[in-house]
Amino acid sequence: MLSSTFEDYLEAILTITENGRQSATSQEIAAALGTGREIAETTIASLIEEGYLERAGGDAVRLTEKGSSVASVVARKHRVLQCFLTEMLGVDADAASKEACTLEHDISDETLERLSSYMDGAQSPPGCMGRCRGQDACTLLDCKEGDTVRVAMMRGPRRHRRLLDLGIFPGEVVQIRRKLPNQSVVVRVKGCDIAISPEIAASILVESCP
Amino acid sequence: MRFALIGNPSVGKSLIFNQLTGLGVEVSNYPGTTVELQRGNTCFQREMVELVDLPGVYSLEGGSDEEDLVRRFLEQQDTDAVIVVVNVTRLERNLYLLLQVAEYGLPMVVVLNMADEAVKQGIEIDPGPIRDLLGVDVILTAAAQGKNIDRIIPAALAATRPSKVEIPYDHHVEAAVRSLGKMFGVDRKESIRALQGFGDNPELLEAARTIADEIESRHRMTANQIIAANRHNFAHRIADLTLKEEVLLRQTDPDSILTRVIPGIPILLGILVGMLLLVFVVGSFLEGVIVEIFNVFALQPFLALGLPPLAEELGRSILLALQAGLGIAFPYVLLFYIIISVLEDSGYMTRAAFLADNAMHRVGMHGGAVIPLTLAFGCNVPAIMSIRLLHSRRERIIASFLVTMVPCSARTVIIAGIVGSFVGIGAAFSVYGIVFVLLLITGLVLSRVTPGERFGMIMEMVPLRRPDPRLVMKKAWSRLSEFLFIAMPLLLLGSVVLGLLEFFGIMAIFEGMVEPYTMALLGLPGYSATALAFGILRKEMAFETLAILAGTADLGSVLSSLQLYIFAVVTVLFVPCLATITVLLREVGSRITVAITLYTVALGLLIGGLMFRILS
Repeated sequence: MLSSTFEDYLEAILTITENGRQSATSQEIAAALGTGREIAETTIASLIEEGYLERAGGDAVRLTEKGSSVASVVARKHRVLQCFLTEMLGVDADAASKEACTLEHDISDETLERLSSYMDGAQSPPGCMGRCRGQDACTLLDCKEGDTVRVAMMRGPRRHRRLLDLGIFPGEVVQIRRKLPNQSVVVRVKGCDIAISPEIAASILVESCP
Repeated sequence: MRFALIGNPSVGKSLIFNQLTGLGVEVSNYPGTTVELQRGNTCFQREMVELVDLPGVYSLEGGSDEEDLVRRFLEQQDTDAVIVVVNVTRLERNLYLLLQVAEYGLPMVVVLNMADEAVKQGIEIDPGPIRDLLGVDVILTAAAQGKNIDRIIPAALAATRPSKVEIPYDHHVEAAVRSLGKMFGVDRKESIRALQGFGDNPELLEAARTIADEIESRHRMTANQIIAANRHNFAHRIADLTLKEEVLLRQTDPDSILTRVIPGIPILLGILVGMLLLVFVVGSFLEGVIVEIFNVFALQPFLALGLPPLAEELGRSILLALQAGLGIAFPYVLLFYIIISVLEDSGYMTRAAFLADNAMHRVGMHGGAVIPLTLAFGCNVPAIMSIRLLHSRRERIIASFLVTMVPCSARTVIIAGIVGSFVGIGAAFSVYGIVFVLLLITGLVLSRVTPGERFGMIMEMVPLRRPDPRLVMKKAWSRLSEFLFIAMPLLLLGSVVLGLLEFFGIMAIFEGMVEPYTMALLGLPGYSATALAFGILRKEMAFETLAILAGTADLGSVLSSLQLYIFAVVTVLFVPCLATITVLLREVGSRITVAITLYTVALGLLIGGLMFRILS
């Protein structure tokens, strides 16, 4: 079990290197965590020793495979907790992020999974739908006419049984055939055109197709 | 022998049913539902075969009335074999239902219909894989041309074994099936259904729910989703093996004009207005002819007989009811149903519902409600009958309220005949204005207070195709006969009661009793109450009766403009006509019918009273 400081470091490095960059410098890491540079360097050194990080030339480091798996677990916990705090409890986004930073180290995997599936099943309060489920998570409503997307997740899966029966389920690729200004959409799935009301389309999270 | 036809909506199932059965089709409501079930007989090698046409469904596990009916039907094992009709141009999605039916373990035959359209689209079909994987007989048909339809019944008679298909489920689901099987001794089908929450053994359901929750927490997908995905994936594999798609021929896509805001909405409005005009012009022409024929050949000769007064009154009431019923039923109901059937069978209805969905949401219904509401301008009777297009009871209740408030052609006669000619054109339009405002308010209020779950629209846009004229006429006729045999007797009864009341002078006593109230409340003389009462029989009769009772057709000379205006407003809002009430009884039940009647009476008196207070 890593200490919470170590987990914070790995998470910060993951965030910095997420946008296609290979490595992060100790200066950037210190800035991201709001600590002094010396302290940062000491911690980084011990993380390298433990095999979570490796030098990437000069001052910069990058995550090893071991490090990146820990980092992504922590990052996911952070996202789920932050999501829960803002969407379900209505906590302010900044405060939720700080709180999530503290909670993410102690929460068990089991609890986190349950929390996550609880949120999939529950309807979030109006006004803050899907604000924080990662940048790439958008709903059918965010798509343009002609887009081809993959269904990622469906909120409230028990409510719309018919979607499943018509072939709209997580993993299926759909094409947006028509989108009216009033947000009603027609999607093509399995060769059939299905018209969907805006409020139902908003509950279908999609990701762009590779 | 009894066989059941089952399939997705609009796969040509009704067409096959009609070709197989011919005459003598019996339409009945399945016990406890409003869903129609068609039964018909056919003879094969001197053996009587009964065919049941089940309503089109997408799945056996959904919550709609239709799906519930089909599920119960299959559970009762009340059929010797099921004939699954599949639209081969949409094979993959259709196979999903086919797999569910196959799991029920009844002997079955698969009919791959629309082979002609598939050929047109450059698709090559090999029925081999379905035959081998499911172990059932497969027939390739083209119902539109009647090709291979004659092979269906022999194949169904020969089908004795259930399908041997085993859908490969996710390993967690398979494990759940095994353990449920061990714990309760249930088979694969029952286990799968229990995991989805279906069945009647509470212990089994409880255990299945625990396992399903466990699966859900591991997969981040519900057991329903996993099972559906497994079935879809299996269907995808079978479809891949069955179809060889050649070069896709470029086809024009009419949806590119029909479902866009421009020109889709102008087209929709054009169709709605055109439909109304057609019915107005042709319908009122036919109505005039029928009413005239009745007057000349039935009513006048009957009155000339000089029967004793009571018999004459009874006979007159019956003839008047027949006249009203046939005058409305024949021209309007038949015409509307022909148009509705054409719109339904051509697939345009789903486009209209899609375009109107958002506007209809405001008043608590989905897009399909645009059709009954438009129909209501012609006549409320077919409009009420068409609220069956709406799928939840909540929507049907809201729609029935709104439809009865829409000014139909008979009420237009009153508005035009009383307000238009004696008060002024502007005033006539203001009556419409008042009615529309009240309609909107009623809709907004009802959408908030009506109990029941709101269903958003999830609707397949069925492929556009040319409607079959015989099928259209058959559908229109079956709905018309329903009106004639169910609404007519009630109409007759109501008319006789009104006639008797009049005959025994109860009407006159009633007039005397209500006169002070109508004067105080609406500023109208007592005889206007009688006219209103006659308006219940047929709306435009309120106008005619008023003229008779006032003793002159020049109403402007006996009543003030305000009195005429108030009379018209009250008549237009007041109680739906008797024919509408009878169809309401049938479609939404007595409680809602009473509620609607009371509401409209109260609304009519309230608005009339308010106007009298404010304007005088």
